[in-house]
Amino acid sequence: MIFLLPVVGLVLGALLAIALKVGPQGGWTGQYMAVACLAGLDTICGGIRSGLEGKYTNEVFISGFISNIVIAFFLAWLGDRIGIDLFLAVALVLGARIFTNLSLIRRYLLTKWQDAKERKRLQQLAAQAQAQAQMQADAAG
Amino acid sequence: MNPFATRMHANNWIVPVSVLSMVLGFMVMTASITDKTRASRLGLLGAAQAGRVASGTLDLQNEFLKISEEVKSLRAENDRLQKAIGDRTQATKVLNEGIQQAKAFAGLTDLQGPGVKVTLTDSHRTPIGTIQGNDSIIHDVDVLRVTNELFASGAEAIDVNGHRVVSTTSFRCVGPVIHVDGVPVASPVIIRAIGDPAAMEGGLNLPLGVLAEIRQTDPAMVQIEQVKDMRIAAYGGSTERKFAKVPHS
Repeated sequence: MIFLLPVVGLVLGALLAIALKVGPQGGWTGQYMAVACLAGLDTICGGIRSGLEGKYTNEVFISGFISNIVIAFFLAWLGDRIGIDLFLAVALVLGARIFTNLSLIRRYLLTKWQDAKERKRLQQLAAQAQAQAQMQADAAG
Repeated sequence: MNPFATRMHANNWIVPVSVLSMVLGFMVMTASITDKTRASRLGLLGAAQAGRVASGTLDLQNEFLKISEEVKSLRAENDRLQKAIGDRTQATKVLNEGIQQAKAFAGLTDLQGPGVKVTLTDSHRTPIGTIQGNDSIIHDVDVLRVTNELFASGAEAIDVNGHRVVSTTSFRCVGPVIHVDGVPVASPVIIRAIGDPAAMEGGLNLPLGVLAEIRQTDPAMVQIEQVKDMRIAAYGGSTERKFAKVPHS
């Protein structure tokens, strides 16, 4: 159940924001923060995926988290400066990546579950064969 | 490869991911839209999304309208009951007359009589010069000064776009609209007053009076009309007091 720790962290962070009285921000701060949230969510999903795949490294994950947020923030800001909705581009790309990451996580977990089932079945078969061999050996002896 | 070595480090990602998802939770909290931040965020959203996000406030406005209707019907009911009790004996009759007088003065009853109707409209004329004329729209101050002048020239009951003006009524600008007792009102602003029609019209038309300045910008912004008979509805807002008490000595 250690896999639920990220979810616990998410709730804990939200509670922390309430406890520190950093309520919802209005105006531009809130708007850019929304884009940054998307970037953060994408990186978290990516982190979980690479963790499950066994390719996880701390440096890549943490630098990715920070740089993704900064880039998303910057793109949204730039879009507003030059009058193009780059905000939408960020939302589109990050949204697509969140989908990909989540589907990969789902597949990985499914495979793992099926593998576990298969292994259990094989172990049972092996145990049965061993028991039979034992019985035959006993009968012969 | 030794399978046990990878197994030992298989879950090393969980703690960092959890810590950063805590940061994410914090960020989601600060970015969420609530009643307080809705107003300042709406302008920054696309039209379609702004509509969805704003629907919360619109619901609130409908709720407000429904409740103020209910207040009006309950007050009418109260009125009928007081009159019914008042009809029983001489003493209650006198008492009831006193109550009705006080309620009429406080603006809690409908009133009927002759008066004037003042219509203030934003100017449709294109502003002269490059600066968008701030004088060409009706402000809260204009409404306030007109109602003040009307009371000064003997008005006995006034309403602004259907909102009865009582002793606690406030006028103020919120963005492009005027709020009367917190209810938004937009141009044209129609101010109706019961009283001596000629006296009130004269008061409004005084040279250098309240309307002179508006007329200087655009005479079409002001229309005054004398009305033979009109009915002004009772005040529909809250009459609750939180701090003031009636002393018993």
